[in-house]
Amino acid sequence: MKILIADDSRVMRQIVTRTLRQAGFDGHDLVEAADGREAYDKTVAESPDLVISDWNMPEMTGVEVLRKLRAAGNDVTFGFVTSECTAEMQAQAEAAGAKFFIVKPFTAERFDEVFSGILG
Amino acid sequence: MSVQTVPNVADLAEMVEQVWTSYLDPEGVEPLIPVEKGANSSEVHSSVSITGSWQGVVVYGSSQEAAKQAAAAFLAMEPDEVSAEDLADVLGELANIVGGNVKAMLPAGCFLSLPQVVLAPESASRYPSAVQVAGLYGTWKGEPISVTMWQSRTDVKEGGVA
Repeated sequence: MKILIADDSRVMRQIVTRTLRQAGFDGHDLVEAADGREAYDKTVAESPDLVISDWNMPEMTGVEVLRKLRAAGNDVTFGFVTSECTAEMQAQAEAAGAKFFIVKPFTAERFDEVFSGILG
Repeated sequence: MSVQTVPNVADLAEMVEQVWTSYLDPEGVEPLIPVEKGANSSEVHSSVSITGSWQGVVVYGSSQEAAKQAAAAFLAMEPDEVSAEDLADVLGELANIVGGNVKAMLPAGCFLSLPQVVLAPESASRYPSAVQVAGLYGTWKGEPISVTMWQSRTDVKEGGVA
């Protein structure tokens, strides 16, 4: 599968990559985006099977990216990895069509729980 | 006047412990050891602002060495391999993670800023009209770490003190 990891922190993109590996999800084709606009553009251009996105990013927030994708008819599996976890944000994410919501700090166990159903 | 639920030192300690367990001390061998507030010994710091129903700043501070060690742990590399860019990125992410978790405990309707990183002591930054409402201090690998919360004073209105 092709996975797009969107986070304005390069370090956090690396940690997401490492945690995917630690959770046993090796061998996937990984693409990175460093802000919301790049996340949108690369999702359209690269057609990933899964987008793992930060919420608070420059240019566009993660939920704005998701809403714009859905408005354009893009149905990619999309979810959030974010330090922010309020009921209102989770409701917004769900309403926009997000499949998962992972809170930082996260563990490999949490990744396994969320992604085993998506990545197999 | 309503009483707001604002995270206290114990809440900060719990959030910070999660960061240590997840990224800085996954083996559980080098925890953050709490200390009494001493002289401000930060050499670098990062912060996120929270606005909306609660207004203030969450600040992560540490020594240069602790920041380098944290970046090395985050990136699974040797401290000597850490670049200035990595160090700033990790400092920003630490403030972002703690700030995001603080926000989750605040009343609904708050917004978190992107992190600001300053490679200078905390005393180099000033938070106008804000008072410190919580502070967690500790040492990690013998190096100082601090997490503080500063709340904007609600009695200071535009045009002067109410």
